[in-house]
Amino acid sequence: MPHDIDAARPPRWLASAGGAAMFVAPLLALVLIWAIAVPLFGINPRVFPSVAAVGGAAMESIRDGTLIEHIGASLLRVGLGTLIGVVTAVPLGIAMGVSPAVSTFLTPLFRFFSVLAGIAWIPIATLWFGYGFGAIIFVIFNAVFFVVTYNTLLGVSTIPMPLRNAAASLGAGRWALLTEVLLPGALPNIVTGIRTGLGFAWRGLIAAEMIATNVGLGYMLFVARDFYRTEVIILGMIVIGAIWLLIDRLLLVPLERSTIERWGMVRRA
Amino acid sequence: MKTLELRNLKKTYFDPYAGSHVTAVHDVSLEVQQGDFVSVVGPSGCGKTTILNMVAGFIPHSGGEILLNGKAINGPGPERGVVFQSFALFPWKTVLDNVGFGPKMRGVPKAERDRIAHEYLALAGLSHAASRYPNELSGGMQQRVGVVRALANHPEVLLMDEPFASVDAQTRMTLQEELTRIWQERRPTVIFITHDVAEAVFLANRVVVLSKGRVLDQIEVALPRPRVWDDLIEDETFKRLSAQVLHMVRSA
Ligand SMILES: Nc1ncnc2c1ncn2[C@@H]1O[C@H](COP(=O)(O)OP(=O)(O)OP(=O)(O)O)[C@@H](O)[C@H]1O
Ligand SMILES: [Mg+2]
Repeated sequence: MPHDIDAARPPRWLASAGGAAMFVAPLLALVLIWAIAVPLFGINPRVFPSVAAVGGAAMESIRDGTLIEHIGASLLRVGLGTLIGVVTAVPLGIAMGVSPAVSTFLTPLFRFFSVLAGIAWIPIATLWFGYGFGAIIFVIFNAVFFVVTYNTLLGVSTIPMPLRNAAASLGAGRWALLTEVLLPGALPNIVTGIRTGLGFAWRGLIAAEMIATNVGLGYMLFVARDFYRTEVIILGMIVIGAIWLLIDRLLLVPLERSTIERWGMVRRA
Repeated sequence: MKTLELRNLKKTYFDPYAGSHVTAVHDVSLEVQQGDFVSVVGPSGCGKTTILNMVAGFIPHSGGEILLNGKAINGPGPERGVVFQSFALFPWKTVLDNVGFGPKMRGVPKAERDRIAHEYLALAGLSHAASRYPNELSGGMQQRVGVVRALANHPEVLLMDEPFASVDAQTRMTLQEELTRIWQERRPTVIFITHDVAEAVFLANRVVVLSKGRVLDQIEVALPRPRVWDDLIEDETFKRLSAQVLHMVRSA
């Protein structure tokens, strides 16, 4: 969109490079402290590994392909579980949000389940689905499902009445009201729900993989522990955090920017 | 030809907190001819918005009848366009798509409804803003979009509830002049609700004064058109009619 007043600002690529640098700097500072502290205090590698050891573990697991295999397995599970969760939660949330009575009735229920979402379901999921893919997908699904449903419900019930009235008096029927007003109107909350849900899902995934599978980042951590491979454990933790940051920066933030921020429905962060 | 007819219209709200009933509209009868422009004024709380919401079909009425071309209305419908005080533009649609929304609901293909929307935006001097989002416009521009969005759907009746109340005085006068010009060009039937007595007289062929849920009086406004503020502000008839309506509203 053309903005004359933006002429004074630095060009976009420079601004975003600057933003990225600001974002990475604290992380680099942490690595620096780590690199200094381990040799300085002579920390036993069984307690905490050196930067070099973790780097070495990274090189090794990249070379033999195991890291990619673990990451791939974890991402596939999160992706699939999240997809199923969002695809079922959004229509349900909208359907429930249309009626104020129904949404008032169900809100406490969904709040209750949103806080339980994910990890707390692992024991029962393994009883229902056995150890493996099914149990993990279920845990991810429900981490996402309750939070997204609840937020969608909230989103629909906060759409200003005049917007619905405007649509109706312009000839919108039930279906058009749903696709043209309720869905986009609830989008800010849906995005919040997906963000929170994905956070739960990612944590739930790692936990579930520790007990219910033989591949994935959680499994990688868990096995490394048995062999006192602290450098592999730390590598796994770094990868888990880094992937989350990437999902957030490359997927969720641009999604928000091109939709709800552009429409002025949330303040620019 | 009668377009819109309200017969002994009544509305009673139930207040769940007080546990009691409030009658906002007692007994209102009103006839509006096709192509007419009627303003409704009255003190705060006299039931103006309630009447408009019933005619729009947003809320049910408790008694009486609302007839459009002799047929009772049933819920909201595209033959009754509404311009909201809060603008009520869809934030997720561009100005062009907001204006094209009514035609889209009628099943008009994309190219044709874009043509219609461009035509109406030109009518309001907004062609340059077609691809912007509502949050990027000033209040006055947003309300222009609100007006042409309703018009682009060719409603038989245009219902307006204090549409210009939240814009500054300067912009309001411009919008009022634009509205009379557009009305003369397109001749929709208009019911215009306002607090502002001068606005009511400036715009309408007839001013309906409400008081406590009843029609107090109706005053014909036989001022020549086109109406512009520069002419009317010093006009004796305009001043006399405005004073008359103001007096009535204050005693209401
Ligand atoms: N949803 C509601 N529930 C209960 N009472 C209501 C409701 N809406 C309006 N009322 C009452 O009905 C009366 C008329 O309200 P209405 O909004 O129609 O007035 P108005 O003439 O539009 O006033 P204003 O000029 O301030 O906009 C008021 O006493 C108001 O308190
Ligand atoms: Mg009102």
